[in-house]
Amino acid sequence: MEIISHLLDGFAVAGTPTNLLICLIGAFLGTIIGMLPGLGPINGVAILLPIAYAMKLPPESALILLAAVYSGCEFGGRISAILINVPGDAGAVMTTLDGYPMAKKGLAGPALSISAVASFTGAIIATVGIVAFAPLLANWALAFGPAEYFALMVLALSCLGGLVGDSLLKAAIGMLIGLVIACVGIDANSGVYRYTFDLLHLSDGIPFIVVVIGLFAVSELMLMLQGHHGGVQAVEVTGRTMFNSAEFLRAKWTMLRSAVVGFFVGVLPGAGASIASAMTYSMERRLAGKDHCFGEGDVRGVAAPEAANNASAYGSLIPMLTLGVPGSGTTAVMIGALTLYNITPGPTLFQDQPVIVWGLIASLAICSVMLVLMNIPMIKLFVKFLQIPNWILVPGVAAVSMVGVYAVHGTTFDLIVGTLLGGFGYLLRVMNFPMAPFILGFVLGDMMEQNLRRALSISNGELGILFSSPISIGLWIAAIAMLVGPRVFKAIDAHRRQHAMA
Amino acid sequence: MSERVFGVFLLLLAAGGIYFGWDLRAPISYEPVGPRAFPLLVFSLLGICAIGLIATRRPPTEWAPSPVLMRIGAMFLVVLAYALLFDKLGFVISTALMSIPLARFFGGTWKQAAIGGTGLGIALFVMFDRVLDVALPTGFWLKPLLG
Repeated sequence: MEIISHLLDGFAVAGTPTNLLICLIGAFLGTIIGMLPGLGPINGVAILLPIAYAMKLPPESALILLAAVYSGCEFGGRISAILINVPGDAGAVMTTLDGYPMAKKGLAGPALSISAVASFTGAIIATVGIVAFAPLLANWALAFGPAEYFALMVLALSCLGGLVGDSLLKAAIGMLIGLVIACVGIDANSGVYRYTFDLLHLSDGIPFIVVVIGLFAVSELMLMLQGHHGGVQAVEVTGRTMFNSAEFLRAKWTMLRSAVVGFFVGVLPGAGASIASAMTYSMERRLAGKDHCFGEGDVRGVAAPEAANNASAYGSLIPMLTLGVPGSGTTAVMIGALTLYNITPGPTLFQDQPVIVWGLIASLAICSVMLVLMNIPMIKLFVKFLQIPNWILVPGVAAVSMVGVYAVHGTTFDLIVGTLLGGFGYLLRVMNFPMAPFILGFVLGDMMEQNLRRALSISNGELGILFSSPISIGLWIAAIAMLVGPRVFKAIDAHRRQHAMA
Repeated sequence: MSERVFGVFLLLLAAGGIYFGWDLRAPISYEPVGPRAFPLLVFSLLGICAIGLIATRRPPTEWAPSPVLMRIGAMFLVVLAYALLFDKLGFVISTALMSIPLARFFGGTWKQAAIGGTGLGIALFVMFDRVLDVALPTGFWLKPLLG
């Protein structure tokens, strides 16, 4: 019952006129950002975060804005996937497989509306999941000491390393570069200047926003120029915009199943919307048996990935809220948002900042309702934004990004560092270095070092403390399993296939 | 090849980090682990990974064809110049100047670029500085006009 009263308090926070308006603006902007190929949730959140901060929004409103943008992006990604066969963000890759064929058949309207309902289903189920599981997990995590925290962060990083596929080395390098950047600045414990090279501007370290904008906005624009092919033609939305009852009945179990699976995948650190949608798509395809037209425009093929990617986006908020450890690039940026407000995310957040936590959770529910209401009747308006030409979009994004960086300290130095990091990020991305470990390493660097030093202070320098409690041992084992497990499975699978061939 | 060159760069970075990190000692220490241990650990691991990148066979990097690469380089320089001049010229002029070449790179005509750039500069300035209360640099020329 305690939870219900908390939730009501949350709705009181999220339901104030200002926060409702912020939610609406965030959802609208998010849908557009998600829809535009190249810009995804991480860019959207990265660009809007400094602006929210500069506007002096209170922390709960800033977080509501970012969460609204995040879920708006997951809704928006499907629009370009269906209409131009280009996923608007990573979570919508699978949606192209059946969405675009449906649009070609003249069923763009039903594809868009059923995927909006699927997204809504995913969002609502995941919100219920957050309410049910997050307080439990936070309670459990209260028992964590610095040693357990250190192990937990290693686990988060190794989850990412295990899931990036074969480029473990590249993921490790990305993470280490992030940790290196986090080392710059005054050491909080001893007051020693580290790697500042007598530059006054570096003494506080490189600001989070500068790194994020450089890596995710400046380098993204450079990549857009690399992939620039002139205009793309969108399929026109003609005929009925609503799905009929036969289509709905066909997809209803798909939506529910995919939402539940997507939620749990999202909770795992490292596994994000793209993995969740790929998993549920192939699961539904298998479950459909012979009676399907997957790949040629099956409604279930758009319902499954859309329910899953929304559910997993919300699910990934759980490790952020309860443990203070982000599970994805976007939530890493949101953690950065909290630290800007001097709020340390972690298990105590539920006790110390109930307004923020429950306000955020309530706003997720409100936001999903707004999004589904916006996305079905107003779809033709959104489609118009697909026609924004790149020659105005790209300078616009560049200018808004600079505004964001400038808003933090108002120095030219930050702008230059951000641009240089953008160029560096472009090189890394062309060489296929994953960016999520980089940003996670950067966000976790300081926390990791602090917890390691605190743990070793308790034990007076004895390393054994890192492996002394059952929880930390469990976390270390999980970290190793996440790193080695996927590779062992792959090797066994390859071996078996070879045998089958012979 | 590109990845190996990058590996050498990382190795140098790691060596430099260890060199400059070696003397990071706190004048008075209250804890067993000082400010030096964590950076040295991170840079050492980076060095090991860099050697791994140099020593293993790497698939070749697919760079964009050189005319495209030239344009991307030019775009980077334009953004860098934008960063340098942002404060001095003020938001409106620097944004307009940055937008024109960027718009040209993305297929806009000269006319579209000029109108779009000026429009962006003015519209974003009004939106952020006046409506949303995010202070932007006015530059030496606009300040007297705004009073």
